[in-house]
Amino acid sequence: MAGWTGTGGRSLRPAGAGTVLVLRLLFLGLLLLLWGLASATVPRGLIPSPATTAQAAARLWAEGRLQTAIGQSLLTYGTGLGAAVLVGIPLGALMGMVRLFGRTLDIFVFALAATPRVAFIPLIIVLLGLGTEAKAMIVFLGAVMPIVLNTYAGVLARDGELIEMARSTGASAARIQLHIVLPGALPFLVVGLRLGATIGLINTVVAELYTAVTGLGGLLALYGNTFRMADYFVIVLALAAIGVIVTESLRLLEGRLSRWRLPDRP
Amino acid sequence: MRAEHVRLDRVSLAFGEVSALKDVSLSLGRDEVVVVLGPSGCGKTTLLRLVAGLIAPDAGRVTVEGAPPRPGEKTALVFQSFRLIPWKSARENVAFALPRLSRAEARQRADRYLELVGLSRFAKSWPAQLSGGMRQRLALARALAAEPEILLMDEPFASLDAQARELMQVELMRLLERRPATVLFVTHSVDEALILADRILLMSPRPGRVVEEVAVPFPRPRRDTDTRALPLYAELRSHLWERLRDMVLNDPGSDFHGRR
Repeated sequence: MAGWTGTGGRSLRPAGAGTVLVLRLLFLGLLLLLWGLASATVPRGLIPSPATTAQAAARLWAEGRLQTAIGQSLLTYGTGLGAAVLVGIPLGALMGMVRLFGRTLDIFVFALAATPRVAFIPLIIVLLGLGTEAKAMIVFLGAVMPIVLNTYAGVLARDGELIEMARSTGASAARIQLHIVLPGALPFLVVGLRLGATIGLINTVVAELYTAVTGLGGLLALYGNTFRMADYFVIVLALAAIGVIVTESLRLLEGRLSRWRLPDRP
Repeated sequence: MRAEHVRLDRVSLAFGEVSALKDVSLSLGRDEVVVVLGPSGCGKTTLLRLVAGLIAPDAGRVTVEGAPPRPGEKTALVFQSFRLIPWKSARENVAFALPRLSRAEARQRADRYLELVGLSRFAKSWPAQLSGGMRQRLALARALAAEPEILLMDEPFASLDAQARELMQVELMRLLERRPATVLFVTHSVDEALILADRILLMSPRPGRVVEEVAVPFPRPRRDTDTRALPLYAELRSHLWERLRDMVLNDPGSDFHGRR
């Protein structure tokens, strides 16, 4: 342990990451194989083959439908999730920092978080109509809860020993929040963002099904109801891709924010 | 005779029903090294918190140069568990303890004190990348960088291995020769107390109070001569040991109560 600088601990990572990448590609190949087999055995073209799906994707892209739908969905998703981040982080942090505020509010936030958000959709439609505002609101309501609650939990999990140390240096309350409490809450916050992003994407599709039918959710309903299975599969894959890109980006962010932990990992 | 620097006047403090300190009076001279020796539960850490101004006594008065202490003003604390900020580099950890300086000044000061404890090469390292001894030197640099008049040390070397511990004791004495400070040092190690102290305060537990004061007259600097070989060292050591042992055996709250 003495004199250990920690750089040695990291040399394992690239090799490990390479192995994981190869294994993941192999697993993807396996999935495609199973998909191909399924499409060949299930009758009446209920499951399109990978090749048919790829052709459908190319066609939808050439017609411009896919881009339009993705654009519409991303606008709804981005607006709702962005608002959830802008509201959720400060609200959760404030609830954790001002104890009386937090203890007054938290039971209501928990109650709201436990209510199925679909229950609010009729109310939202009555208030905001069927347009983008209503959709963004549905996404917002789903995404904001995990962000608020995790930020709140992160601030509450502050390290009392570090705070006492900071106090002993004469640090002001603001300095302690900024340098000790908030950075300590970051790992919780990122978990909240990942949950919020996932629920937000689900709610994007829900919003597009329940309000004015647009975007990827709209196409999902259209193609599913008319048995255009190849087109339907394209939409499902597009949604999966968006989900993977967003959550993987957040995982990268999490890794960057917690670099200081790395050397301790075996 | 040294000028009085810190004074506790019949200080009592209880946490709920539990009395932590009872009628404790003591006085620290300027640049004197006073070691508080006692078994666990005798309120040693509470004593440091009081002098740091982190808590106020229930009864009695704590004064530093005649006024109640304010955290970070004249005192700096060193903790047994280091208490380094894990997401800050070594340099940032030291700079954090200097809230009154500008960023640039704090950075400069931090680098100077990292150099002093031999950690310049690790200025950009995170605490997790440092060994136990290095972490404690970093914690020491953080306390010294504030250039405190009073250094409060709470069993700072207790979590180090025996060798690192001895090296740190010598290091502390070397640093104090360069830049003297009043030191209140808490330990439960008799040897550590005898090596470092000008004066030892023996505390007994439940409720914590000072039961004996022992002057330690060994010449300084002690790192050059083998203090442990002096006859007086053995004499003081066995006396302090006996007192500590009696306290632990007679303390109903101790695991060793009543054993012979």
